[in-house]
Amino acid sequence: MIDFSVSNRTVGGERHTVGRRVLGAHAWLTYIFLYAPIVVLVLFSFTKDSFGVRWTGFTFDWYVRLFNDTRMMRAAGNTLWVALVTTIVATVMGTLMAIAMERYRFRGRGGLDALLYLPIVIPEIVMALALLAFFSFSFGIIESITGVTLRMNIWTVIMSHVAFCISFVVVVVRASLKGFDMRLEEAAADLGADPRTIFWRVTLPLIMPGVIGGALLAFTLSLDDFIISFFTVGPGTNLLPVEVYGRVKRAVTPAINAISTLMLVLSMLLIFLSQFVQRRANR
Amino acid sequence: MKGIYRGLLALLVFGLLAACGATPAAEEAPASNEATGETSTNDGVDRSKLSKELYVYNWTDYIDPTILDDFEAEYGVKVILDNYDANEDMIAKVRAGGSGYDIAAPSDYAVETMWREGLLQEIDQSLLPNLKHIEPSLLNKYFDEGNKYSVPYMYGITGIAYNKSIITGTPDSWSLIMDAASASQYKGQFSVLDDEREVPGAALRYLGYSLNETSPEAMQKVQELLIAQKEFVAAYNSSDVNRKLASGEYVMAQAWSGQAMQARNGLGDEFAGNPDIAFFIPKEGGMIWMDNMVILKDSPNAYTAHVFINYLSRPEVAAKNTDYIGYLTPNKDAIELLDPTVRALYAEGFAPDAEVVKRLEWAVRNETTAVFSDVWTAVKGE
Amino acid sequence: MTTLAPDELPIAQRNAARRRLQLLLAPGLGWLVVFFVIPLIIVLLYSFAAPGPTGQVIWTFSFDNYVTLFGKDLYFNAYTRSLVIGLQTTVLCLLIGYPLALHVVLADPKWRTVLLFLVLIPFWTNFLVRTYAWMLILSNNGIINGLLELLGFAKQLLYPSEGAVLVGLVYGNLPFMVLPLYASLSRFDFTLLEAGSDLGGNGWWRFWHIMFPLTLPGIVAGSVLVFIPTVGQFVVSDLLGGAKVDMLGNLLQRLFTRSNPPNWPLGSALALVFMFFLTFIVILYFRNTTEDER
Repeated sequence: MIDFSVSNRTVGGERHTVGRRVLGAHAWLTYIFLYAPIVVLVLFSFTKDSFGVRWTGFTFDWYVRLFNDTRMMRAAGNTLWVALVTTIVATVMGTLMAIAMERYRFRGRGGLDALLYLPIVIPEIVMALALLAFFSFSFGIIESITGVTLRMNIWTVIMSHVAFCISFVVVVVRASLKGFDMRLEEAAADLGADPRTIFWRVTLPLIMPGVIGGALLAFTLSLDDFIISFFTVGPGTNLLPVEVYGRVKRAVTPAINAISTLMLVLSMLLIFLSQFVQRRANR
Repeated sequence: MKGIYRGLLALLVFGLLAACGATPAAEEAPASNEATGETSTNDGVDRSKLSKELYVYNWTDYIDPTILDDFEAEYGVKVILDNYDANEDMIAKVRAGGSGYDIAAPSDYAVETMWREGLLQEIDQSLLPNLKHIEPSLLNKYFDEGNKYSVPYMYGITGIAYNKSIITGTPDSWSLIMDAASASQYKGQFSVLDDEREVPGAALRYLGYSLNETSPEAMQKVQELLIAQKEFVAAYNSSDVNRKLASGEYVMAQAWSGQAMQARNGLGDEFAGNPDIAFFIPKEGGMIWMDNMVILKDSPNAYTAHVFINYLSRPEVAAKNTDYIGYLTPNKDAIELLDPTVRALYAEGFAPDAEVVKRLEWAVRNETTAVFSDVWTAVKGE
Repeated sequence: MTTLAPDELPIAQRNAARRRLQLLLAPGLGWLVVFFVIPLIIVLLYSFAAPGPTGQVIWTFSFDNYVTLFGKDLYFNAYTRSLVIGLQTTVLCLLIGYPLALHVVLADPKWRTVLLFLVLIPFWTNFLVRTYAWMLILSNNGIINGLLELLGFAKQLLYPSEGAVLVGLVYGNLPFMVLPLYASLSRFDFTLLEAGSDLGGNGWWRFWHIMFPLTLPGIVAGSVLVFIPTVGQFVVSDLLGGAKVDMLGNLLQRLFTRSNPPNWPLGSALALVFMFFLTFIVILYFRNTTEDER
């Protein structure tokens, strides 16, 4: 039903195989570059050396210690939760905005265009302190009107993360909307499809790579954000980047490598799971 | 393409499952002032006035976590601990209001900043009988005369840590890291702190000035000295100096006494110590600083906060905490309860003796010292 | 299907279109106004205020901070170094990322998703821990120096250095380049290349005259996503540069939270000038490179 087929990608004859090989070799090298530190990181989560810089024998101790470290585990859970909610909200809003920006001409579009780049351009520390000021300011107003005292908590972090992720989604989705063949939508309309059907059946499937790219970007950004999280989180809510930052300041122990490895394994598991489901669905 | 939708769905479900266990725990019910049951003990603490929870904002790894468990076991108060890494980060959050914390641990100058801005409650000393254990010379300091707002928690001194097996003899001067001849000999093998007051401060003492000198001539000399030093420095590092000294990556470093002690003794079960590490306060003088417990203005649990601070000031608790952290305890009655190896190091120069105390100086940080930011930016930008 | 009288159609359509536009824009725009524009206005007000003796913000209205900013040559080293390192990072990311994205797009469809995810997986570990892993690889007793020794070469001082900062930045920003490029390339009609070869163009000609212009939106988006965070970051330059490579992000971090007392008004002014300068460039860049090919 939903299939984005890019037809006939293997173009041309033998002349291209050389180029393809070069591309392949480049990709391999790049993947090695990307994974070199990861291999080091994973390897040193099993080392007996407590400095975590030498290989002095295999141990599973750091993982045992990690699982008993409720602070760290809770922080990991909170962080995943924040990243997930952020990704969903930011991707939906960002995709809709991208479509509006690419498809419609309206007053204020130029200004909106500029506005959308600002969250990308703004240095994180500035956005973090601005949000801190904003929350304290608006909580003050709410308190004086309703008498309800609000405090920052995990939701203020999510709201802040969404605010900076939307723009990233918009940029990526817009890149896939450019050069989009409008005739496909017109054809669908000519065939009597209503706008909703056109959106779900034609537009969305075609821009899906962009949407997924944007979602992944949002997820990655939120998962790793330290500065904005630090300043917008309330008391008693640990987040992984904040927790790790504090501990790394003192020492990068194999335990820190272990939590990173766990997050890695978790994400890999998700990929395999999705592939597995895909294979079964295709059968 | 179907697969990608499914993949995202799986991701969602999986993430939800993973996160479920965690979120409710983080949003525990707010602290209430209900009675916890017991009321009759003879330690003078009215247990009916204790809150169920206490929110403490402290430096990272700056308290032995088992102390929090002990406190909960004794009083039934759960301590919720969050961490920060700079006074300015903490003050920014507290200043915004409604931070939700009861207690914080600002350094000397930051205590002054906070009470000046009205961020702190006055302390009721009648609730702190253990104040009598605090070393009198560390009370009534410039930042809080009469200790109306703060109780000393930990203090430290800044000097040079070095590896005896490589740097032989008995170095006694800042020239070890400030003088080009010496610094170039150890190029890329030593660090200085990443701090706009500590490094220019050391340079000022080396040049014969006070740490708090701000005259343009002095600043000019400091800037030239530090720019000349920059090419020899491996890094400006305030964080993992302890490990890098212990592992041998650095042969010397400008360091806080606690970092030096951790390099010598190791850190819990995280890394082993290096017996060759020694520490001294240069003859030109060094810095002394202190972190203090304060109660925030908007703390709803002030009584419980007093009980907690008093608990930390018990000599046996302070000693246990000091053994864990590795900095210096201002609790004079805790010193004899310390681990013997730690006490031996105190005697060896990791803590100041009467002679060293004379050449220690507190670093004031206020509007007059804003010039240090420019010096530091000039050095960093070079 | 509803039937409409022919002469009603345009107005009805126009209204429907307007409603759709509102529906598309409202959620995201509302969110941005509340959680971004209002906080940004606070920063704007800060930039006209004065710093208090303890680092608080004193509400006045003056242009002092902007005067300081442009009057002080103290900051120029940080500005120029940031721009140079930012550009180097962007170009390197593009040179590495474009062929990689192409490889992913051309791969067997059943592997495409996997290959794309493979680019991202490393980034689901903690950023700081990854950077520390680079320190282990580049350090004096690290893996690269170990290999060099094994092969009989002398050890090199690889870290901390500006080169190490560059490696860390390229590493940390590569996915921000690859994702938009992937999105753009996956929309590219590869049969056009065949047409190009029928016209007698060689490989380079076809890339430069067909593929490059048509994937320019992705290139632009990727470059922006890489360049900007690079200039504003401070952690990589602190860790891999031994805090000796001072960039704009380091300067801002100091002004806001490391100086004693901090100077938020000056920091805000610096941040705003920097932001508007970059936004201006970005928009110019987008206009010139993407609008005309529509």
